[in-house]
Amino acid sequence: MRPRSILLLGAGFTVWAAAFVALYAMLSVGCRFGWHEIALGSLGGVSLQRLQLAAIFLVHLAAGAAVVAVLRRWKDRGFLYTLAYFAAVAALGASVFSFAGIFFLSTCQ
Amino acid sequence: MFRFGAIAAGGLALSACAGPLSALQPEGPAARGIGTLWWVMLAAGTAIFLVVASVLMLAFVRPAWLRRFGEARLILWGGLVVPLVILSGLVTAALALGERVLVVGRGEALRIEAVARQWTWRFRYPGGYETDDLLHLPAGRDVDIVLTSEDVIHGFWVPRLGGKLDAIPGHVNVIRLRADRPGTYGGVCAEYCGIGHAPMRFSVEAHEPDAFARIVGPSDDTRQDTAPDGEGGQ
Ligand SMILES: [Cu+2]
Repeated sequence: MRPRSILLLGAGFTVWAAAFVALYAMLSVGCRFGWHEIALGSLGGVSLQRLQLAAIFLVHLAAGAAVVAVLRRWKDRGFLYTLAYFAAVAALGASVFSFAGIFFLSTCQ
Repeated sequence: MFRFGAIAAGGLALSACAGPLSALQPEGPAARGIGTLWWVMLAAGTAIFLVVASVLMLAFVRPAWLRRFGEARLILWGGLVVPLVILSGLVTAALALGERVLVVGRGEALRIEAVARQWTWRFRYPGGYETDDLLHLPAGRDVDIVLTSEDVIHGFWVPRLGGKLDAIPGHVNVIRLRADRPGTYGGVCAEYCGIGHAPMRFSVEAHEPDAFARIVGPSDDTRQDTAPDGEGGQ
């Protein structure tokens, strides 16, 4: 594991970047197919668009939390591991900060 | 002091804050919102710069003060708390103003179609009248510019009236503009689209409503317009 440890520094923010790309892409795809106009009655009128964005967000949040959990167990193996752990925590916070808008902003024109 | 003033004044003059393409001279609600956001960002950016520069100065001039403040506290406040507070404020301002610029549930407006191709803009009015590289608008009224392209992606931008939006082949985008009063404004293609991109400009003329009607002809609502309106219409 040790030789690869420097890659761990970016582990958390790799999940953040994956979430960014997935949300950005699927936002446009959803608008093109008109998913924002499909209200789901069983979910209190939430649109299909918002539902799929929330699902993508939550999946990546779970992945980010898993990265944090793994790195937390390794964080006493050395400086790089400690750094990687805090970077992953920062990435998790950044994910909530940057992507929470999917719950309340307009998704399409 | 005089020299500072001269430099500041010269800088402002040279930075081209005025003119037909100046987003800092907004003439409509959408552009005003964007202009406000720009000023908020400028003020916050300047404040951050001054604070960082002062801390840097302190590190040279009064290193003991910084040492007394403590490493951990410096990182916690300078690296986390202060940036988070400032960024939260800026993000909130950006999202709120961004929502206001969108054309979501704000009622009907006059629709003018804009078709971009290398390297010109064609505008079609409700009555069927067409103009090239010249967009007529009625002043004081919301107008939806219905954007599409015949070849590659272009960008529609009238800085003094609103934000920019891409004109995409096979897709329709709508941007809502309103000119507060009659006047001539500049427009540009804001997405690189080939060798003729840079000169792909157009003019926007906002007229009094009756003058507008005289120029573009009656908007004959009874006649079935043949304009392809749906997405992917060619
Ligand atoms: Cu262009």
